[in-house]
Amino acid sequence: MFRLIKIESFKLSNKLKSWLGPLLITVLVLIAFPLSIDISQYDLNRFYFSIIVVSLLMTAFVATEGMFEEDFEDGSLEQEFLIEKDFYKVTLSKILVYVCFIGIPIAFIGSLFSFANGVAIGSFPKVFLLLSLSNLLLFNLFAFGNALSINKGAMLGVLSSLPFALPVIILLGRAIRTIQYGDGFLAIITLMIGIGLVVSAIMPLIISAALKTHID
Amino acid sequence: MKLFSAQNISYSINEKKLFHNLSFEANSEDGLYIKGANGSGKSTLLRIILGITSPSKGSIRYSTEDLDISYLGHKNAIKNYLTPIQNLELLFNNSKLTNAFKWLHKLELTNVQDELAANLSFGQQKKLALIRVLAESPQMIVLDEPFVGLDKVTGDLLNNFLVEKLSEGVGLILTSHIQPTIECKVLDLGKENV
Repeated sequence: MFRLIKIESFKLSNKLKSWLGPLLITVLVLIAFPLSIDISQYDLNRFYFSIIVVSLLMTAFVATEGMFEEDFEDGSLEQEFLIEKDFYKVTLSKILVYVCFIGIPIAFIGSLFSFANGVAIGSFPKVFLLLSLSNLLLFNLFAFGNALSINKGAMLGVLSSLPFALPVIILLGRAIRTIQYGDGFLAIITLMIGIGLVVSAIMPLIISAALKTHID
Repeated sequence: MKLFSAQNISYSINEKKLFHNLSFEANSEDGLYIKGANGSGKSTLLRIILGITSPSKGSIRYSTEDLDISYLGHKNAIKNYLTPIQNLELLFNNSKLTNAFKWLHKLELTNVQDELAANLSFGQQKKLALIRVLAESPQMIVLDEPFVGLDKVTGDLLNNFLVEKLSEGVGLILTSHIQPTIECKVLDLGKENV
């Protein structure tokens, strides 16, 4: 597992476009979106969360687009199969590395944006934790979409998995409201951690089966 | 020592039979050369042996669960955005890296070791991919058209390496349109017998 995490970290850190692209998109959406729909500063304090959700969705969508495609195309996936006999650990380590390299920095940028829009400094860690967990869930879901249509253009599969992201957005909305009103945050964050752990354990199994079908 | 046995292997794509009821064995110190025309199923048979593809019928029985296999297929499994050195660092741990660098030197890739793999010629990419097999010490080597794209010097080098490995008791299975000068059992998919 450590070998796989090391390999995936090395690969992703050398693919500037893959990790820097989503981060730049996040910043671009956070800056350009309010400007494009002409939200005033007063409205921005109310609507900043919707903008964060849009940027989270877009960046998770873009970041996971080529997650398995490149390894499938160049034959690395077959080589890993010979070593590991399935793709569970490969998938798990890939998602973990993507969350660490892309998801967590995006969560940090999103938290900064919330802070700039009136969220108290004391709530900064709460927003950061919330966005990190949301990214963990979204990356798992979109990785599944990516694995589904790996040989038909991975974007198609990611699009088809978009409806699965709706519960995450609803959960994220509820959680942010608990931060705004200062009540029930612990309950909802515990729920999200639980769901995050379950999804992170089960989704690689499903993705592994999808990948095996594709290389078969 | 027997490495594996294939029993009544059949494979069909869209009701077209690629091969039917193939049975054969592979032993260490024995090479198996799979030959056949384009589309006869050589690569598919290799993938079935490796467990990547499931046969329509039949089974492969390995003598041991953890058979250490080195494989190079049609795809080179190298990363175009990395240099040859970085590609090797990705593949090998520190203990095997020195040996991999020796092969990089032997295959005359040191002059391009800091170029991106995407900028290498087809032959150079193939040589880089072959280091995956050359620098390992597996129990069985499986190669799909290993001589394609190689110059004569590298082809001979690979040939000698495979002969040496066979004499060391490493199993070898390969497909090739270029007849290898290695003493091997031949499995002709046109005739379907060994």
